[in-house]
Amino acid sequence: MSFIEVKNLSKEYQIAISGKGISGAVKSLFHREYKVKKAVWYISFSLEKGEIVGYIGPNGAGKSTTIKMLSGVLIPTGGLVTVGGIIPYRDRKENARHIGVVFGQRSQLYWDLPISDTFELYESLYSIPKAKFQKNCDYFTELFDMKDFINQPVRQLSLGQKMKANIAIALLHDPDVLYLDEPTIGLDVTSKKVLRKALKNINAEKNTTIILTTHDMDDIEEVCHRLIMIDQGQKLFDGTLNDFRTRYNDGFSLKLEFEGLPPLWQESGAYELLEKDQHQWIIKASNGITSKEAMIYLIEKYNPANIYVEEERIEEIVRRAYALN
Amino acid sequence: MNKYWIVFKKSLKSETIYRAATLSGVAGSLLGFFMQVFLWKALLGAGVRQDTSFSDMLLYVIINSFMLELTRTNVAAIIENSMIDGTISMELLRPMSYKTYLLTSALGKNTYGTLTRTIPVLIISAFFVKGVSIPDLHSFLLFVVSAFLGILLMFEVTYLAGLLAFWLQRCWFIEFYLMGFERIFGGTMIPIWFYPEFLKKLSFFLPFRYMTFEPINFFLGKTPAREAWLPVLMALFWLVVLNVLDRCMWQMAVKRLTVNGG
Repeated sequence: MSFIEVKNLSKEYQIAISGKGISGAVKSLFHREYKVKKAVWYISFSLEKGEIVGYIGPNGAGKSTTIKMLSGVLIPTGGLVTVGGIIPYRDRKENARHIGVVFGQRSQLYWDLPISDTFELYESLYSIPKAKFQKNCDYFTELFDMKDFINQPVRQLSLGQKMKANIAIALLHDPDVLYLDEPTIGLDVTSKKVLRKALKNINAEKNTTIILTTHDMDDIEEVCHRLIMIDQGQKLFDGTLNDFRTRYNDGFSLKLEFEGLPPLWQESGAYELLEKDQHQWIIKASNGITSKEAMIYLIEKYNPANIYVEEERIEEIVRRAYALN
Repeated sequence: MNKYWIVFKKSLKSETIYRAATLSGVAGSLLGFFMQVFLWKALLGAGVRQDTSFSDMLLYVIINSFMLELTRTNVAAIIENSMIDGTISMELLRPMSYKTYLLTSALGKNTYGTLTRTIPVLIISAFFVKGVSIPDLHSFLLFVVSAFLGILLMFEVTYLAGLLAFWLQRCWFIEFYLMGFERIFGGTMIPIWFYPEFLKKLSFFLPFRYMTFEPINFFLGKTPAREAWLPVLMALFWLVVLNVLDRCMWQMAVKRLTVNGG
């Protein structure tokens, strides 16, 4: 059995429909209609210990709801979850001991007190041995450059500073699984890089399983080995990053630069002129053509000065994949 | 239970941050104290009842404000808020019991409130009180026990009301009712000694009088030693009943929980 097993996981809830305007609001006081929303619908996957998985999907796809069911906060309306042999929503507290969670939109920190006070709470919550606690504290303070603000009240910190502290807290007790729900919102470019590197290190050193939801495809590209894509509560794709590329990729693009004016473009089934200006063309080659074929063909036909082959960025592919489904 | 001790300490510490709130709290509690003192002085002066002396009333007011301060934090409002803004999902991520977490953090807040708001009242009232009967050790111990049970009882009732937020989304109106019941059947406004007979009887069958009123009775030595078992046992009885009830309700409540967005 895999470390994390998710089988036919579903979560439905009711939404009250409110009419338009004040009259609608008054009406709904007397008679209210509900509709059932399927936030997550028959999702199944399994994860081995030590995997890093990107969990992506457009807004409202059900990513956070899945994470909340995995972490034991929400009880599914159907299906089964086990994490390391524990059923999270049945053994919430036992499960909580082994996981670390960051919800990018929320904070675990004491609002009025410095970060160090919350650290102290988590030390006792997880009964972290003194030496390990000190070591991890120092490590994250150093890593995220938190020395300057660790003694400031949390209400006087910036979004990014709070985020760093929240990530540190989720990792203080060396969890077996780490759930990160949009951990990079609010972080500056440097901090994002630091975080991604830290995640990879932690995964390598401690074999921590990581599930990461994000809208920043750079996170996925740099950190994850595997990708699960959902939309409207249903799973659309589950596989390696490479599989994802081959599945949704329909070719690559080429940039042709000319010294003088470019020659006349001739329509062709296999190639599509995406953009053109005075000195360059961007051409899309369709699937099935190798880059060698494309380059030979284009050089012979148009004789450019320079030619570049560009692989599509994962971000583009994801955008198209959302649109396709 | 080291972690709950830390929760207690941190929530007490959080309260110390706001100096203006603390100072205005002190002023408010002194004002309230004086209002009650003068009110009762006037009422008793008019000869309402002969069997209640002014010093009894004064002690009632002091102990009452002490007890109210110890149970001030409204857990129902806390549960309601964390339901509305979704903070509850963060609290459930922690390996600790939600109920005990609420209890200890409320106790932390209330301890700070008691220290800052009741002590000034005690100091000031020392000037008014002449020849007050300090309870004997026996009554005092009974007071401590029943005050402890009273605090728990108050917590259980508000916690139960707070859990209703899982169904009703908003539960402030329930707190409103609760406050009313507490005032009437708990004798936190007017001591139950002054009540008409049927109200007095009714109050025995509800949990409210065991929260603050019975502890006060013990302190004032108004409950004879022979009858001491009754209020203590009743408080325990209610604690068990409410505890069973809120366990069942919690089981159902978490199933209903939906936290959207992040």
